[in-house]
Amino acid sequence: MKFEKILFHTQFGPYAFNSLKSLFPLKAVGLEEVVLLFVIPREAVGFVPYGGFLKDEKKEIQEQAKVRFQDWQKTLRKAGIKSRIRIKTGILNACILKTAREEKADLIVTGAKKRTTFEKIYVGSHILDILRRSQVPVLMGKYMVHIESDEGPLIRKNDRIFERPMLATDWSAPSERGLNAIRALKGIVKTAIVTHILDSKLIHAANPSQIKQLEKESLRRLDAYCARLREEAIVAENHLSIGRAVPEILRISRETEATLIVMGRTGKDWIEEYWLGGVSHRIAELSELPVLLVP
Amino acid sequence: MRPMALVAALFWVGLFLVLQSPLALATEGHGDPSDQGKVFVTHEGKTLHRAGDGTPPAAKEGAHGKGGHVDLGQILPIWSCIPFACMLLSIALFPLLWPEFWHHHFGKVAAFWSLCLAIPFLIVYKGVALHEILHIILLDYVPFIILLWSLYTVSGGILLRGTLRGTPLVNTGILVIGTLLASWMGTTGAAMLLIRPLLRANKHRKNRTFMVIFFIFLVANIGGSLTPLGDPPLFLGFLHGVRFFWTFKILPHMLLVFLILLSAYFLMDTYFYKKEGLSGKAPEEKREPLRLDGYHNFLFLLGIIGAVLFSGLVDWGQVSTFGIHRAIQDWVRDGLLILMGILSLATTSVRVREDNDFTWFPIIEVAYLFIGIFITMIPCLLILKAGSKGALAALILSVQKPYHYFWVTGALSSFLDNAPTYLTFFNTAIGSFYAGIPESKAVAMLMDENAIYLAAISAGAVFFGACSYIGNAPNFMVRSISEEAGTPMPSFFGYILKYSLVFLIPSFVGVTLVFFLR
Repeated sequence: MKFEKILFHTQFGPYAFNSLKSLFPLKAVGLEEVVLLFVIPREAVGFVPYGGFLKDEKKEIQEQAKVRFQDWQKTLRKAGIKSRIRIKTGILNACILKTAREEKADLIVTGAKKRTTFEKIYVGSHILDILRRSQVPVLMGKYMVHIESDEGPLIRKNDRIFERPMLATDWSAPSERGLNAIRALKGIVKTAIVTHILDSKLIHAANPSQIKQLEKESLRRLDAYCARLREEAIVAENHLSIGRAVPEILRISRETEATLIVMGRTGKDWIEEYWLGGVSHRIAELSELPVLLVP
Repeated sequence: MRPMALVAALFWVGLFLVLQSPLALATEGHGDPSDQGKVFVTHEGKTLHRAGDGTPPAAKEGAHGKGGHVDLGQILPIWSCIPFACMLLSIALFPLLWPEFWHHHFGKVAAFWSLCLAIPFLIVYKGVALHEILHIILLDYVPFIILLWSLYTVSGGILLRGTLRGTPLVNTGILVIGTLLASWMGTTGAAMLLIRPLLRANKHRKNRTFMVIFFIFLVANIGGSLTPLGDPPLFLGFLHGVRFFWTFKILPHMLLVFLILLSAYFLMDTYFYKKEGLSGKAPEEKREPLRLDGYHNFLFLLGIIGAVLFSGLVDWGQVSTFGIHRAIQDWVRDGLLILMGILSLATTSVRVREDNDFTWFPIIEVAYLFIGIFITMIPCLLILKAGSKGALAALILSVQKPYHYFWVTGALSSFLDNAPTYLTFFNTAIGSFYAGIPESKAVAMLMDENAIYLAAISAGAVFFGACSYIGNAPNFMVRSISEEAGTPMPSFFGYILKYSLVFLIPSFVGVTLVFFLR
């Protein structure tokens, strides 16, 4: 796996540029070019009821985006990273996925968006749709996150996202590719964490010896994962847990002070995906950390 | 915010006028029903009685079909149509004068005019007004929007891929296919299916504007004149009792306009094609074979046609919903239409819809605007139904000949959306010929005894919808898509002066001379 070309999509949220800068360490692992993408949602300028298309408004938005990107390009140049600007009008998700295909990007980076309850239940935000459908890894950036904690509201800044990535594996092929993604980050990762959650439903149905066997097998596999990371000179530690996958992954990520959660995209059936989202999608939604989902 | 303050002031002035009107004053004295010439309201029984108006009870009931309350149309003042006029003027003027504001606030504008009518209407006529509002929502708006939604959803799942080279013959072929499809998948559906292939095929052409204009003429309007699925006005007619296949009576009218316009188009395209020096040149780009993705959606289109047809053929009785009687088969039809849309969404790849640039925004816009249109048009429709006894008697008396109906319906359809205009003159005709007769009987008689008038109204509403960008909903969608794709489109007045007046109006004069001049 390589991260030579990144598609960085932004709708110019307040920390978009900081989020972009947090990717600069990837230069050390081969990042050559960033494609800066801004999508003008079609409904923002098109289909004016009985009117048509707001050409001037589109032009203005386009120019604003271009000027901002040009400003960012100066910083990218200084960091020795090439960049290109793409400004499109259309359906957000479709444009992001299409541009990624056109550009042959190795990674899509996009920001998280607050969702309404309605969106959470029935639709899913655009980012979850991209996570579901992308053919390349998607990094869901969360530069500045507001967290509700027992001590009151906290703000977390995710600016060194590659230092302590945590791979949550279910031993699937996408998880395996997630491991390869971390291996590709050698040199910028300080410590990698590998975790596996034994589903509590599985434990309920098993007798003590079977549970012991399961734990033993899981630890063996975790060790194997860690060994492969160490081959790349990455310090690795493993954590096994029993419980419900989503809360356990979130808990471990906090306890181990992970800076990024890496997961293979889970392939649940489409009804579950549509209505609830798989584990990976729920983590992407709920975690205060950036999430890298590998298909 | 000044214009908004102005309209708010207008609203409160209107409310004040209503509350101060003799009618409102009369409602306060409903204790003595023997007073001649006054209006009495008993709110609980939803009966409004105007003593001494000389209208037989059957006539009073007839104007509403059923329900047993009197003809509000005979007592509503003409200025109760002001919110309707303002609603239509908003649609006509805001996109032209203040498009940015309109784009972001059209829903609020529609809500504002609806409330301007609904609040005073409910305050003065209470239960009767509520009945009228529910009546138009359940019997007109709901089925109307469900049909549009299902056609839009299903046709949005069909995508024509591949390389077409925009020669005069190919372009004319697209227009012919679009015109043929429009009556069966709706003008919006046919236009959305074919506009992008047409634009792609003609990317290399220098002069593309006229192609899109003729596309609007034929596919987005005139092609939809043969069935209630084709164009929203005809579906409203169907909902009010016009038989599904009755609209085939305007096939000759449609063919005449179609042939005139298609010939004009072919000549123009051939001229420009030669002028651009493209004949004989091989395309440089890689050719992709033509293919239709999501073609299984044609099955759902057949389902929609079947559902609408079935609702016109069977009689399963009625059910009362919020006190409004509605035929069971109409509810079943609406359910089936929703089912067709859902099946289309579930079985069509997201990629096909995305490549089709499918978005819900246009249909949401139509839903917002039309709730405003339908609510504000209540007084206008009631007055027109009252015929010579209503406040618009002068209009009814002046519109008498078939060509009057054709041109007046048409002229208003050019600048106001054609669906409410159709309904307005449909009611004018009923009020003119069959005032006081229940709608179901009146419509049947209109179809059989005075078919030429209904043909004139139908043809006028559908054909003239092409005269401006605001005449019919697909017009603005096609314009938007074309402009986004880089095809320059004429301004509002440019469209009318350069194209409508030159091509459409002479064609309509031809239709008048051949079919309506008697």
